[in-house]
Amino acid sequence: MMKPKVAFFDFAGCEGDQLQVANLEEDLLALLGKVDVVCFREVMKECDEDYAIAFVEGSCTRLQDEDRLKRIRENAKIVVAIGSCATIGGINSLRNYKNLDEVRKTVYGEKAKLFDTYEARPIDAVIPVDAYVYGCPIDKDEFLHVVTSLLMGKKPDIPTYPVCVECKKNENVCAFERDQFCVGPVTRAGCDSCCVNEGTICWGCRGLVDNPNENSHKEVLIKYGLTVEEAIGKFKLYFGWQEGKK
Amino acid sequence: MRLISKKDFSNFVNALINDDSLNIVGVKAKDQKFSFGPLESAGDLRLDYDVTLLPPKKYFFPQRETLFGYSLSKGFVAEKPAETKPLILVGVHPYDIAALLHMDEVFKDTKSDPYYSERRNKSVIIGVNIQKICKNCFAPQMGTATIDEGYDLMLTDLGNRYAIDIGTLKGKNLLAKYAKNVKTAYTRDIQLVGQKEHEIYAKAQQKLDFSPDRIPGLLEKNYEEREFWEEHAEKCLACGSCVLVCPTCYCFDVKDQPNLSLNKGERIRTWDGCLLEDFAKVASGENFRATRLSRYRHRYFKKGKYLFDRFGFISCVGCGRCSSNCLPDIANPVTLFNDLYNYTLEKGVKVGPPTSPEVEIKTEGNIDFVPRVAKIVKKTPMTSLETLFEIKLEDGSELSHEPGQFVEVSVFGVGEAPISVSSPPTKKGSFELCVRRLGNVTTKLHSLNEGDLIGIRGPFGKGFNPDSLKGKDLLFIAGGLGIAPLRSLFNYVLANRKDYGKVILLYGCKEPKELLFGEEVLSLEKRDDVEFKPTVDWCPEGELWDGNIGVITTLIPQVDFDPQRTYAIVVGPPIMYKFVIADLKERDVPDDHIILSLERRMKCGVGKCGHCQINQIYVCKDGPVFNYSKIKGVPEAL
Repeated sequence: MMKPKVAFFDFAGCEGDQLQVANLEEDLLALLGKVDVVCFREVMKECDEDYAIAFVEGSCTRLQDEDRLKRIRENAKIVVAIGSCATIGGINSLRNYKNLDEVRKTVYGEKAKLFDTYEARPIDAVIPVDAYVYGCPIDKDEFLHVVTSLLMGKKPDIPTYPVCVECKKNENVCAFERDQFCVGPVTRAGCDSCCVNEGTICWGCRGLVDNPNENSHKEVLIKYGLTVEEAIGKFKLYFGWQEGKK
Repeated sequence: MRLISKKDFSNFVNALINDDSLNIVGVKAKDQKFSFGPLESAGDLRLDYDVTLLPPKKYFFPQRETLFGYSLSKGFVAEKPAETKPLILVGVHPYDIAALLHMDEVFKDTKSDPYYSERRNKSVIIGVNIQKICKNCFAPQMGTATIDEGYDLMLTDLGNRYAIDIGTLKGKNLLAKYAKNVKTAYTRDIQLVGQKEHEIYAKAQQKLDFSPDRIPGLLEKNYEEREFWEEHAEKCLACGSCVLVCPTCYCFDVKDQPNLSLNKGERIRTWDGCLLEDFAKVASGENFRATRLSRYRHRYFKKGKYLFDRFGFISCVGCGRCSSNCLPDIANPVTLFNDLYNYTLEKGVKVGPPTSPEVEIKTEGNIDFVPRVAKIVKKTPMTSLETLFEIKLEDGSELSHEPGQFVEVSVFGVGEAPISVSSPPTKKGSFELCVRRLGNVTTKLHSLNEGDLIGIRGPFGKGFNPDSLKGKDLLFIAGGLGIAPLRSLFNYVLANRKDYGKVILLYGCKEPKELLFGEEVLSLEKRDDVEFKPTVDWCPEGELWDGNIGVITTLIPQVDFDPQRTYAIVVGPPIMYKFVIADLKERDVPDDHIILSLERRMKCGVGKCGHCQINQIYVCKDGPVFNYSKIKGVPEAL
């Protein structure tokens, strides 16, 4: 069997997800036995336009990026969004709550007019996406699961249930019982509740589950002591684009 | 009863820990809570705990376990699990022991789960009577705050010493081998234990307003009370916490995990929960419990009614973990049942005294999770979506199925899917599966070629029982892919034509190009011993079709049959049943003359994993073929 050619691309993001891939260590070697990487800015100079699978990191934050995304879509058989920014808009979407002219002035000062921008969005707001690797950053095992699934021609198995499921299986003490405030009950699982395992909270980096009960969870946050505004703020960090769509 | 000083008890635990051939697990502090974990010293043991985060079931039915391995070159490899050391659990509360006894029944029902039972058989349970009761605990109400079976040893804290009740010979021997200075208890110590046990009952903060044996009847009266359930389910986060921490929940999912080389991997089993959104979703996208209300209600019914009907016990031991873990605070069974009880009283409805169900748990052998290797000997494309696969078991044996039964088809690295057998048992040497390309397994199956290997488990379930239909007139009604299971009986009847009366086949699909077994069924028109009528919902322009146009029910008035002599065998998509049954009833067909086959997410095939459950019925085990009279009162069936 010919090895499928894969390429990595990045838009507005920190490239942390590609770094996770570059850090796969021995699994990376096994992976390279199965695919040919033709474009990966983080580890190689060359870039070829002939590829079957495109991994796209970062959110789309300006109109002119859409053309580049569309070209990737035309070239690739399979487009995989990787990381929070590409899959759900990510923390870039925080700015969607603000006046975009002010956002530009804050970042670029006097030269603001030279830099175009629009609401930060996940790449599936621009092009059709075939598979998603959620997370900020992505989880190495889940990335490998998605890649092996695609190579086998099956749909990756990405949880539709919230992080609580993994927290319970890992026998974590609930963040709320530690007087902390967590959005795990509305956030898509698949990370093995890695943040809560370390004694902190779920920030929501994998985005909302398909049918979150947001009202109920906001009530929970308030019941446990947050103000209404603080509760809404909990939903802004990662869910900006998903919330804005409603 | 025996006595041991606390110091000698610590020495006993340390002696167990120091024996490398044993695996000692006990209750330890975890943050501000408690959990069962490996003991490194007796000093870690916290027998004064209130409740553990997870129940001890995780040692017998772990969150994730490998069922077996597979390799593309070697097929399915049931790897012998590494010799595990005997497990000694120290500090199990009576309600958790009661829960394990419930789990034992579930895992041995019909067929025994070998993974669970092996671990259970190898374990020793050292229980401890509750000293501090968790605020959400209502074990005293459920009669599980104390227990007199299910443990090898049972401890009661008597200040500077423990009273030890010996439950089994295994427990006695363990004590004899590892403990020193064990004395026989005096009468006053035995009385003290009784007093301590009695005190626990007074400590419970959660109280039911009525006797728990009324729970099944209370639920039964209130299934349809949507308003009540809606109000309670509205806040449900569908996070599954309540079921994941439950000591009697046993639902699971099974999936394949290929390694990176793709030619090897393992099949794993993980905890699942009926509160989660996709739990009852099938490959076609249909979700049989899509709403929060239906899943929320299902949990209470499963605990309080369905398992009671099947096993004779209420599957709740009152540990209170669900209440403690529910953020919106809607999972507390005491609150819910009290609300429901008062709601019922207000409506003036009386809940009758409890009736004990007839319970008969039989175990016939072990569940075989490892599929038999089979070969695709022929692949015949039928439509753009369906292909007929002819399959031969590699060991040369016959499938020996009954018409209407199904098999679990495994594709290496992708998983398993339930597929009904389309060929009659009269066909020898191989069998046929008509498969629609829908989910992962069936899509991958379609990409395989003649000569490729797959896995087969089964046949499973109850079929059509063709003997019971001998001498009757038969009216077959098939919609779409429903023809696949129906064909196994239909062709069996044709092969034994003289045993049956009049035979009618009504077969409908969306449009002519979706007709399955086209030539085979159309050739029926030439037979004079079968009346055959096909229909299509519509016929696109330019396509040939000289049969009926209209949904399947438009055919029913076109055929003549005697409702008293006729059995109607109906298989089709869920939506079809309602309409067809209504029309059959119009023609005076008695309820018990209607036989149907239901589709659900049959994951394990042996009535364990919970996915195919419709109210109290397991489709994989009690069905998929049902007599309508048996399921017409089952609310979620049709």
